Amino acid sequence: MHFIWDGLKQAADLLAHGDHDVLTVVGTTLRLALISTLLALALGLPLGLALGLGRFRGRRAMLALANAGMGLPPVVVGLVVGLLLFRGAPLGDLNLLYTFNGIVLAQTLLALPLVAALSAAAMQALPGGLLEQARAFGASRAQVATLALREARVGVLAATIAALGSALAEVGAIVLVGGNIEGQTQTLASAVLVQVSAGEYGRAIALGSILLGLILILAAGLTVAQQHERRALLGRPS
Amino acid sequence: MTADGPALRARGAGVARAGVEVVRGVDLDLNIGEVVVLIGPNGAGKSTLLHALAGLLQLTRGAVERRGQVAAALQAPALARRSARANVETALRWWGVPRAQRRERALAALSAIGARHLADRPAGALSGGEARRVHLARGLALQSDALLLDEPFAGLDPPTRAELLYDAASALRRPRGATLVVVHDRAEAWALADRVLVMLDGRIAAAGPPGDVFVQPPTPEVAAFVGFARRLEAPGAVRMLRPQDLALDEAGPLRGRVTQLVPVEDGVRVELALDHGRLVTVAPAPGPKPGAEVGVRLIGGVSFTR
Repeated sequence: MHFIWDGLKQAADLLAHGDHDVLTVVGTTLRLALISTLLALALGLPLGLALGLGRFRGRRAMLALANAGMGLPPVVVGLVVGLLLFRGAPLGDLNLLYTFNGIVLAQTLLALPLVAALSAAAMQALPGGLLEQARAFGASRAQVATLALREARVGVLAATIAALGSALAEVGAIVLVGGNIEGQTQTLASAVLVQVSAGEYGRAIALGSILLGLILILAAGLTVAQQHERRALLGRPS
Repeated sequence: MTADGPALRARGAGVARAGVEVVRGVDLDLNIGEVVVLIGPNGAGKSTLLHALAGLLQLTRGAVERRGQVAAALQAPALARRSARANVETALRWWGVPRAQRRERALAALSAIGARHLADRPAGALSGGEARRVHLARGLALQSDALLLDEPFAGLDPPTRAELLYDAASALRRPRGATLVVVHDRAEAWALADRVLVMLDGRIAAAGPPGDVFVQPPTPEVAAFVGFARRLEAPGAVRMLRPQDLALDEAGPLRGRVTQLVPVEDGVRVELALDHGRLVTVAPAPGPKPGAEVGVRLIGGVSFTR
């Protein structure tokens, strides 16, 4: 048990003294989580709108694919993306293997189905008639989409939390595509892996605690926003 | 748009749902300044017709000519999760009204329908009747050339419905716009309509002022729908009767036997078996005994030859 206690103390020391390596890896982790989540939202929300509200051939198959995508094994995604990025492979010319942009790509692919499937489910749960009424009052397609996103915002925030959480916790795909390079593609989660392999359990627990703290802070912030929205939606006096 | 031409005109309009034609060749003019009520039983095609007139459903045949902007307030209030005023303002934004005018127009529309006090309330905190008021305010605020309302009083308890109905009756008088209201209650039609269209089985079966359509219905089918529910058969003719079209009178020319008595607000509802049909009337309480032979006098009803 003293391992854990020591690890927690070490985490506090590392943060308190502004350990450069730790701050770098925290920075990389946050940048990765933020950029990949924004990209997944930019691509996944329109997809979720189309899958949740659209009427086109193949919609159900795509929805099934998005739902299945939520359970994508990250290692397999990492393997496939890594292979595609090899020199001479179809995406080799992008020179993304073992780069920060490469892990952003892999993580965006992992978060995309989460955003698309969860936001599609949120769209489908919108009250019947809401969007048709908007059209009957002259709303354009863009205005109808904006209304749908706004009204489904509790679900959209849930999708954002899921995407952020998956980015913070991801290891397999990031190690395979990014190479776990210190200062470049190493994140808190993949750094824990390195420390454990090296037998540095105390430092592993320290990094793990920082990671857990980050996840808690971000999830709590988004949950507060989400539940505030919910209260506003229900019209309870605040 | 000409000042006296119809804001909306349908000719031979047909609409299908799930491959079945539910609106079957409807002709309709909606003139500026008038309130037209479309009434019919469930499944007659009223809502489908309204959706097609609003451009939300494709016609399978015929044509709809819109000479101005058409707005439709559909049956479910479907308010966004914002304040009542924000809901009206959002509808105005969709309608293309400049931002500077939205607030004032939203508040004016809410006031017109007696919902000014609800302006800052979140939609989720509104009762069914209040939500319907705000929904109606959204439709009114747009000041469209044609306003189509689908069952604006549906699902309300009788006192709430009555209150909203009387407020709506004055708010819907729009000198510069035409209004079509789908209802399925005659009292609503009486309160609102300049002109009534009765829709049966996908077609307009009767049209005219409520005093004509409801008092002198043109066909037995329309008569049955507008309350002349009982039939007295005679060779080559049928007389259709509402409860108020007959009276119990020992000196009356017809004889009937009382088969059922049910207490109602203003007496007892008496069901009678006659030689040529079963009739219903309302008599002062306590009314005749079940099984008694009584005299009947007809004092109204409509007759059709066959």
